[in-house]
Amino acid sequence: MTNAVLEAIRTRRVARALTDEPIERAQVEEVLKAARWAPSGGNRRLHRFVAVQDRVTLRLLRMVSPGMFQRPQAVITICIDVERARSFGMAPNARGLYVDVGTAAQTMLLAAHSLGLGAGIVTSFSRAAVAGVLNLPDGWSPEMCICLGIAAAQQPGAIRPRTPVTWQSLSHWERFASPPGAASP
Amino acid sequence: MASAMVLTEDEALELLAFLITAARTQLDEAAEYGPLRLLTAAGRLADFMAERASPATREFLAGPLKALPEVALRSVDPSRYAAQLDAVCRAVADHLVGHFGGGSAS
Repeated sequence: MTNAVLEAIRTRRVARALTDEPIERAQVEEVLKAARWAPSGGNRRLHRFVAVQDRVTLRLLRMVSPGMFQRPQAVITICIDVERARSFGMAPNARGLYVDVGTAAQTMLLAAHSLGLGAGIVTSFSRAAVAGVLNLPDGWSPEMCICLGIAAAQQPGAIRPRTPVTWQSLSHWERFASPPGAASP
Repeated sequence: MASAMVLTEDEALELLAFLITAARTQLDEAAEYGPLRLLTAAGRLADFMAERASPATREFLAGPLKALPEVALRSVDPSRYAAQLDAVCRAVADHLVGHFGGGSAS
């Protein structure tokens, strides 16, 4: 079975090398518009997105982000509004907050892919330093950077060997059976 | 011995920021990212140095260090990873002896 959405999901790849070709602000805006439609726990919308295209700020972000191999033409930083989360009685480390970072990220990655952009996520950065570079308000915690640009033809090798991964190898149906010989509870 | 500056202030600051922030991110990340970050820093230092280094050092910088995959991780193949790093370490030693001059063997 296939359709446009499934095809986009199957063909999206992480871009760890991006070209010097600039991208349009309108393209970044489309990615941000897509993020607005990402699932959000309780529809609380506790995340904020900071888009950067300024070259100096991009360079500074890369300097304090050891996991940023690419030289992006734009970066969208997903932040958790921790103070707003507290107003809902949520602890700053509540799992739901980070699930919503993931749903927003995947939505933006797919949107970028649909626009012909290369995109990669980065979480290896100093939160304190990124907050300083972006002059974030107190209570906003930067959690993930989405790097955008045009994917280079030559990408670094995959981190893991290309051993076959199937949906079956990742999935189980129904309750787990007890291993042979195991005592019944 | 030549001792020309091989980094600009901007380049040195970029490397300094990388090293400091990598120290912080490493507190929360997989241990195998430690050598990855050090090698990334070494690669960036090599890129910065290349234009201003001596021909011999430039040749070294373009050699074994660049041969390492940019995002290689130990867990993929621990023995091969260690062997690759050993090869680079040996190449570093060989270049150091050539650059600084080693004592004559007896």
